[in-house]
Amino acid sequence: MNLLTLLIFIPLLFGLLIVVLPSSLRNSYKYITLLAAIVQLGISLLLYSQFKTGAANAGINHENQFQFVQKLPWIQLDLGTMGKMQIDYFVGIDGISITLLVMSALVMVVAAIASWEITKNLKGYFVLFLILDMAVFGVFCSLDFFLFYLFYELMLLPLYFLIGMWGGARREYAAIKFFLYTLFGSVFMLLVMVGLYLSVKDPATGSHTFNIIQMMNPANYDANSIFSTVNHQTLFGFPARTVGFVVLFIAFAIKVPVVPLHTWLPDAHVEAPTAVSIILAGVLLKIGSYGIIRICMGIFPDVAVSGSFALGLLGVISILYGALNALAQRDLKRMIAYSSVSHMGFVLLGIASLTTEGISGAVMQMVSHGFLSSMLFFLVGVIYTRVHDRDIYNFRGLGTLMPQFTVFVMIAFFASLGLPGFSAFIAEAFTLAGTFKSGSINGLLPHWMAACAALGILLSACYFLWTLQRMFFGTERLKGGEEWKHALKDINWREKSALVPLALMALLLGIMPSLVFGKINDSVIALVDFTKQYIR
Amino acid sequence: MAYHALAAVLLPLLAFVINCFIKGKATGWVSTIAILLSAVISIIVFSHTFNGGAIHLSRVWFTIGDTQLYAGLLLNNLSILMLLLVNLIALPVHIFSMAYMGHDQRYGRYFTCLSLFCFSMLALVVVDNMVLFYTFWELVGFSSYLLIGFWYKKEKAIQANKKAFIMNRIGDVGLLIAILVIYAQFHTFDLVKLFGQGGLVSQSFFKDGLWIAPGASIPAIWQYIACGGIFLAVCAKSAQFPLHTWLPDAMEGPTSVSALIHAATMVAAGIFLLGRVYPMFNTAELDALAFIGCFTAFMAATIALTQNDLKRILAFSTISQLGFMVMAMGINAYASSLFHLVTHAFFKCLLFLVAGVVIHEMQHVKDENQLDIDPQNILYMGGLRKRMPLTFIAAIIGGAALVGLPLTSGYLSKDGILIQAFEWSDTKSIGYKIVPIMMLITSWLTAFYVARLIFKVFFGKLRVLDVKPVVICHISDGGWQYRVPLILLSLCCLFPVFSLDPLLYEQSWLFKAFTTADHLERMNIYHTIIPAGLNILSIAVIYLAYAIYIQERKMLPFAQNNWAFDFSYNQWYFNKAYNTIFVKPVLALGSGLFWFDRKVVDGFIRLLQNILLWLSKVADVMDRYVIDGFLHLLTAIVQYIGNFVRSFQTGRVQYYLLSMLAVIVAWFIFKTLI
Amino acid sequence: MISLTHYLVVSAILFCIGLYVVLVKRNAIQILIGIEMMLNAAILNLVAFGQFDRHNNGGQMFALFAIVLAAATTAVALAIVLNVYRRYKTIDPDKVDQLKD
Repeated sequence: MNLLTLLIFIPLLFGLLIVVLPSSLRNSYKYITLLAAIVQLGISLLLYSQFKTGAANAGINHENQFQFVQKLPWIQLDLGTMGKMQIDYFVGIDGISITLLVMSALVMVVAAIASWEITKNLKGYFVLFLILDMAVFGVFCSLDFFLFYLFYELMLLPLYFLIGMWGGARREYAAIKFFLYTLFGSVFMLLVMVGLYLSVKDPATGSHTFNIIQMMNPANYDANSIFSTVNHQTLFGFPARTVGFVVLFIAFAIKVPVVPLHTWLPDAHVEAPTAVSIILAGVLLKIGSYGIIRICMGIFPDVAVSGSFALGLLGVISILYGALNALAQRDLKRMIAYSSVSHMGFVLLGIASLTTEGISGAVMQMVSHGFLSSMLFFLVGVIYTRVHDRDIYNFRGLGTLMPQFTVFVMIAFFASLGLPGFSAFIAEAFTLAGTFKSGSINGLLPHWMAACAALGILLSACYFLWTLQRMFFGTERLKGGEEWKHALKDINWREKSALVPLALMALLLGIMPSLVFGKINDSVIALVDFTKQYIR
Repeated sequence: MAYHALAAVLLPLLAFVINCFIKGKATGWVSTIAILLSAVISIIVFSHTFNGGAIHLSRVWFTIGDTQLYAGLLLNNLSILMLLLVNLIALPVHIFSMAYMGHDQRYGRYFTCLSLFCFSMLALVVVDNMVLFYTFWELVGFSSYLLIGFWYKKEKAIQANKKAFIMNRIGDVGLLIAILVIYAQFHTFDLVKLFGQGGLVSQSFFKDGLWIAPGASIPAIWQYIACGGIFLAVCAKSAQFPLHTWLPDAMEGPTSVSALIHAATMVAAGIFLLGRVYPMFNTAELDALAFIGCFTAFMAATIALTQNDLKRILAFSTISQLGFMVMAMGINAYASSLFHLVTHAFFKCLLFLVAGVVIHEMQHVKDENQLDIDPQNILYMGGLRKRMPLTFIAAIIGGAALVGLPLTSGYLSKDGILIQAFEWSDTKSIGYKIVPIMMLITSWLTAFYVARLIFKVFFGKLRVLDVKPVVICHISDGGWQYRVPLILLSLCCLFPVFSLDPLLYEQSWLFKAFTTADHLERMNIYHTIIPAGLNILSIAVIYLAYAIYIQERKMLPFAQNNWAFDFSYNQWYFNKAYNTIFVKPVLALGSGLFWFDRKVVDGFIRLLQNILLWLSKVADVMDRYVIDGFLHLLTAIVQYIGNFVRSFQTGRVQYYLLSMLAVIVAWFIFKTLI
Repeated sequence: MISLTHYLVVSAILFCIGLYVVLVKRNAIQILIGIEMMLNAAILNLVAFGQFDRHNNGGQMFALFAIVLAAATTAVALAIVLNVYRRYKTIDPDKVDQLKD
């Protein structure tokens, strides 16, 4: 049994189990979900340990170098004179995906633990949770564009319901906004996908294909197709390949999110329940950047190279704009949402630099941010479940009331602002190193971009420390007075069981970054070589 | 030997980890024993490797792309000296802390943080590459944050530690940019390869507006930006202008913390950085360094003249002395700068521990009598020399070293700097003379404020009696845990530790270890005039202070309430200025961008949403009134025609007959006409 | 001489008078009189054309037919008028407009 298929569809099986169980057993749903997440974690760790490194296993644009591959013919339609439609169930992973799989699995376990606080419509909640789980892993593993798109769209619907039914006060607005915004991006992706399908021919069978890896090879394109590299077609006056890249980029940029396409994020995060915020911040944002690497850069490397300045600039703007906005927030969850925008700016900047340090730093930032943002949102959830208020100005001196909680908050905050010893420092430092080096080595990004982005680490210290000082230190003073004081008990063992693994992972990756770098290095080098030929 | 050094560095880390899990008085012993062992090991390492060759040990840490990053130890003279220094300062402070913090509820947490700091600082001085350097540079800042805000319920303390961390972060950004530039240029982080003898940095040069290194080139501006970044880092960590305002506020932490971190070790890290990357700087940058250091020293000394908080005076004194060290680096007096770093560490730590004892005793007075006084304010102290004789002697020794009077270690280091300042300014244009002259003035100001401090605290009568005449006073020197550190540190402030010749700084073993040229000839008259002139006038200034404060003769050149006094008392209004120029605009920018985000960016989305809703309303109207309306129109026509035709059915027979006739006639007419 | 045209003109005038009476009069009996007049006009026409059919006397034959049929029609019509009067108490055709729309 192929491990990846197992990994993707296990949650679906558990979901079916929950569907058939009667409502009288509703207390067991959360345990079943947790079990599903733990099984996934186990499988992903197994994949990680059996993952082979080395230049012969780099993947990226060589189909035979991907690992744990399963390719089954899925939809085969004979269209008469128009040839055969060939869609395969094609899954496989390379260095870029493996670390994201492990990270997603751990984040799902934490989200499952955070789902303990849900009280109504349990069956619906957990079934939707598991469908989302399946879709997420499907996206990371798919190598057929149709399958990728299927899983990508499948993610949206459970999220709409999860936010819209179990969320906060403005949940319907946030859910609709998130759903429509993301859908807007992805419907145009569908057009480009079809365009690519009609442009690419599978060399083995001679029919059009959705195979992403074959789309990366310019030799597979028909000479006069819309996205061919030789015959420069135009679409509405722009080169067709550029239009394709931009459309795909917009679809993923909405997810990353890149300023100015980010305004759905603060609303969605704030209104979503804690577990959904954790999944949103921890996993979904990474799907956007993974899509940029795998699809935008893989299929349109020529446009990626010529547009890298704009991408880098968007990254720098996201970093600074997100950080400055975070400084102005009163709502704790909204502040952390904006800080996510800022940290994902580093990812985009690293990808745009097209250097090994830059891309490695970007992947590391994806993994690190997955752990740290999950931790941050979980911590916010701890306060919110107790007093239903998140306003920073309403709390003071929580350090005396909840000392252990404060220790975890300090770990999360300092790790997020890039204190060395934790993973975010390695990620951000090497992203910046790669960005700066890009000016000297491949001339894509100017040197000043790295210098400006470095200001981001100063700003993140500002807003995190301000929040720490405001909410946790000083003498005790709560808006809700005695009532709140009784409600604010220190964290219990269930919450600790979610926080400790995340903190440990952040620390571990900070001290031994080779856990991530060791697996991704070959793929990153292959990716850089792949794009190098387009750099003039 | 390298493994011994590694053990010395890791012992405090072990203490930190153990202290995370235990509570109570045991934590103090764990930390102190760890430091004691570390100190012993560092003495052994020092005796074996000082002035020997450099030892460099490294392993691969991780690989990124095709670059490998190493983690390793570099033990050259600078590292070994600093290793020993940090341990020798930390040990008395640990012993002192066990008594000073003895009654504190969070005793265990204090020693946990203190051990973390010691580990970070020790690791900082022995690491061999820039990435690890930056790591421990930040970790030192983080430990400082934890310790300044140790009494986290105090409002001032938590504001102070936030300010300290953010200002240090500014420096960190600078250092990070410098590291990025160096990596892009030289493709390595290794300190030996970059800054060692004949290293890559010294092989690089400027040409045609480019900074050219073996294998790469970059526009020359980036070398200046890198050096600027290093300056920022030094200014932040060593509290130089313009990033110095965090240090006086950091005095909100416990005094033992101030003694260790903010007097002797962490703030010296900036000078240490300068020592490590010295080959980077060209002449223009060194001159800039000299001017910054000089200005800071002068500024801080003027502020220290008017402060009333005991620890604040010492904090500004630290800033001033660090200015001396930075300036010394700028004038190529590398060895003297490091010499002063070491001597300053000892006498400043001593002075802070003295302050700690005094404040502790004043706190007792306050508590036992329920007085509403600030135990750190020197205006309430006085005449303590009779009640605390040992502390008094320690203060005299420390103060004398700070002023730089003969027979102390401070004399050797400070006069060395001043002499070399004059020699340096001789080689430059006349405008550069301002540096040594300002430094001379600063030295006299130093003498004045030190004398003022000692006279106000230890001489005269106990002024708290002015507030409440009958006061229960159990002031004394304290237990062995207070006395032993004071005695140890006092001994280190005297000349025999550093040089057997009390008057010639060139004979000091420390100076000889770092100097690169032969300064042993008495080249010029400066070597006699400066020490003589400086010290004679210092003594005169001390007498002036005595006259003003003890004999209370009205000899103050400045009145208490003129602009110069206010300017000095309010710390040159830097805090207000920074708040207005930096803090408020950044917060306003943040709020402004949030408004922009909500109203403009999200507003754009809302605009799209409103356009969509408007379009749908238009479609609705179209649907109801136009398309459906067309159908209605059709039916209305049909209805109209029907009604019209219906009117012909009158039911009257003759009418029917008439109409039949009309039709037939019309038909016939029609037929004939066509 | 009295030619055919004279007969036809008289017959036409008689027809028109009869038509006028049918269309205008408010009395059903008078309408019947008008119908009779129209019938007589037609009979006159028939007789006038009869002078061209000496062998069969077709014109005169049809004229006799028409007279008899006119009488029969009038009898039936009078019966109808009588029933109408019984029902509607009036024989003004304008008042009997129940079949209007």
